[in-house]
Amino acid sequence: MRSTGLSIRSEVVSNFNHFDTLSLHAGQTIDDEFGARATPIYQTSSYVFPDTDTASSIFNLERGGHAYSRITNPTVAVLEQRIAALEGGSAAVCTSSGMAATFCAITAILSQGDHIVASSQMYGGNISLMKNTLPRFGITATFVDPTDVEGFRAAIQDNTRLIYGELIGNPGLDILDLDAIAAIAAEKHLPFMVDATFNTPYLCKCFEHGVNITIHSVTKWMGGHGNAIGGVVVDGGNFDWGATDKYPTITEPYAPFSGLNIWEEFGPSAFATRIRAEAMRDIGPSMSPMNAFLLLQGLETLSLRMDKHLSNTKELLEFLGAHEQVSWVSHPDLPDHSSHKLARKYLPKGAGSIVSFGVKGGRDAGKAFIENVSLASHLANVGDAKTLIIHPATTTHSRIDAEALVAAGITEDMIRLSVGLEDVRDIKVDFENGFRAARKIAGA
Amino acid sequence: MGFTTKQIHAGVTPDPLTGSILTPIYQTTTYVQDSVDEYLAKGFSYSRSGNPTVTALELKMTALEDAVDTVCFGTGMAAVQGVMLAFLNAGDHAIISDVAYGGTYRLCTKILARFGVEFTFVDGSNLDEVAAAVRDNTRLFLTETPANPTMKCTDIAGVSKIARKAGAVHAVDNTFLTPYYQRPLELDADMSIYSTTKYMDGHNATVGGAVVCANQEHADAVRFIQGSTGSIMSPQVAWLTLQGCKTMSLRLDAQSANAMAIAEHLEGHPKVEQVCYPGLKSFAQHELASTQATGFGAMLWFEVKGGLVAGKKLMDNIDVFSLAENLGSVESLITHPVTMTHAAVEEAERIRVGIIDGLVRVSVGLEDIEDLIDALDRALDQV
Repeated sequence: MRSTGLSIRSEVVSNFNHFDTLSLHAGQTIDDEFGARATPIYQTSSYVFPDTDTASSIFNLERGGHAYSRITNPTVAVLEQRIAALEGGSAAVCTSSGMAATFCAITAILSQGDHIVASSQMYGGNISLMKNTLPRFGITATFVDPTDVEGFRAAIQDNTRLIYGELIGNPGLDILDLDAIAAIAAEKHLPFMVDATFNTPYLCKCFEHGVNITIHSVTKWMGGHGNAIGGVVVDGGNFDWGATDKYPTITEPYAPFSGLNIWEEFGPSAFATRIRAEAMRDIGPSMSPMNAFLLLQGLETLSLRMDKHLSNTKELLEFLGAHEQVSWVSHPDLPDHSSHKLARKYLPKGAGSIVSFGVKGGRDAGKAFIENVSLASHLANVGDAKTLIIHPATTTHSRIDAEALVAAGITEDMIRLSVGLEDVRDIKVDFENGFRAARKIAGA
Repeated sequence: MGFTTKQIHAGVTPDPLTGSILTPIYQTTTYVQDSVDEYLAKGFSYSRSGNPTVTALELKMTALEDAVDTVCFGTGMAAVQGVMLAFLNAGDHAIISDVAYGGTYRLCTKILARFGVEFTFVDGSNLDEVAAAVRDNTRLFLTETPANPTMKCTDIAGVSKIARKAGAVHAVDNTFLTPYYQRPLELDADMSIYSTTKYMDGHNATVGGAVVCANQEHADAVRFIQGSTGSIMSPQVAWLTLQGCKTMSLRLDAQSANAMAIAEHLEGHPKVEQVCYPGLKSFAQHELASTQATGFGAMLWFEVKGGLVAGKKLMDNIDVFSLAENLGSVESLITHPVTMTHAAVEEAERIRVGIIDGLVRVSVGLEDIEDLIDALDRALDQV
């Protein structure tokens, strides 16, 4: 069996396997030529082949190596191996965005006539992909309340090929019961794919709970600095694609590679290899080497940043909970959150740094709050080192209808907060300014 | 090997590890050594002392000028500074073109003068004046030809001869013409200085500089200053400059053709007092410009009738051309040296060397010539 995807730098520092060490070292082998300590940025389109036999064997997936940067790139390969090591997966494929990762992962195994059972509480882009785009190609989805475990079982049809969810729902923050849903997926022999962007492998290693594939928008906490868009699909290497005939893209001969059987040849990294051989080759949402370099640098401080994100979040939860202008606060670490028990189980360090809260006075007061804070940036990203706020009903979730809005747990007064790394005392001062403006509206 | 082939291939070999056709961007501070005994065996220890991406650019620039070695710097001014610190000590004297970039003038009169270095600014177009300025302690000649912004030309071989006789080194700021059009080392100069920001990058993406040397001893002296003062080029800048170099001759030919067309058009324009471009027959040193270089470049200046007020009005009303300080990029830029690049030069000195109030400097870019001429005509109509 061939051992790998297409990377030639496959050494992971195998004797040192703790999280912080891996986040600094995994995937990088010091280059022989100059010994550069940082990963070189291979800003190149193509690679000169030493001879035609080598060229042909790289093209045929018979050996690792780089041919063209749409398919693989040495800088991107370091990031792929580092993330795979942090997740405990068998292989990873980086993409130009988190949405590209979701699209490539789904289309690697689903075709016309297939069906997805998905959580109803997901990032708006994921919902739109499954509700609007994939149906145009004959792939449909049934959305299930993520807190209703049995609802997942009930929604499974004969043509279901995938169960999909987000560990920390967006923006309702309900926690998916990974073990329970993984048990249903295993029983029905379906792969369980989880968008783990909000938790990162530092807060929860999904593969340890029966998940088979994880997706990340690396743009968010993994990269952590709001400076590069990127995504990744991580293959858990723990799904037996050959046990049924439901996954012909993995188990049947693949014509473009002279009838290569990916499952037989690549085994635990077959799923990642299929994405590499098909999506990266024929669709081409490749990550740029410059972005990979920036994201690698972000990963080096992932655990430090996450600890600070969590401690700031804890302080702000107390601050908001006690504030007279706040009508409600939602975070899974709060005892009154419906997912609190699951959060303690799957996210013992803390359930991430996204907080939802309502400003007294409804939509207009919420608007006044957002317009009168200055440290917190009003924008449509999360997981930046800087504190970010947004009004989901009018932005990230504006393209889904009212009914889905309710199903996704979004109210009109909701403000979504992505807690940054600033001194928390400054965030509080900033918010006081926002609340002062909101109080004028609410009192009027 | 021809210049155009060299500008694409020189200095760059496929990465031995991956075959990558382009030099990787070694965005790293340090290099892991195999053992204490093998320290520096691979040539690199710390990126202030050397970086593989920067080295690739240095090799390319060395090849482009058939030189011995090149030392890259963080900016063109850092390159000038590198040359001055390498060859001048307290009590030494340097002879500098009286029309030099304003920053060079500032470096001499405001900084190096504080450390006991003496300077004489001479009209480089007058070899007798250059020879008369030589003293016993003269160690360096720095010329700039064509000069910024007057376009005054210096006879490189003539100054080199005087410098040789004086036992001093001759450095030529060759930024305006690049080794594609003008080759100072073949005219017996010791080194060429470049702001790589200009035609080597060519896209307004970076600031950088380089000193190209004909002699290893000189290069070592300059490199010692580069490392000791830390005025280095970053690997990102080197990489972008490597890409820019690949089209340098194509850009220069096209931009120079545009400049010639603009110069000829303005020369016949009723609202223009005078036009200065080495390619014009009316250019006082047209003969020297034609024999010393193989092209005239893409820099010119003109004076609008009505002086400073008219010149300002033109620049405030022009489109397509950007009012900006750089030069040598694909974007056409227009500047007013008196208030911008040469503001540091004292008024009397400025007027004496020919930087008159109404002088409008143009760095001609790669746009369609029809658009450039149309933009100039429309702006001149407003004057």
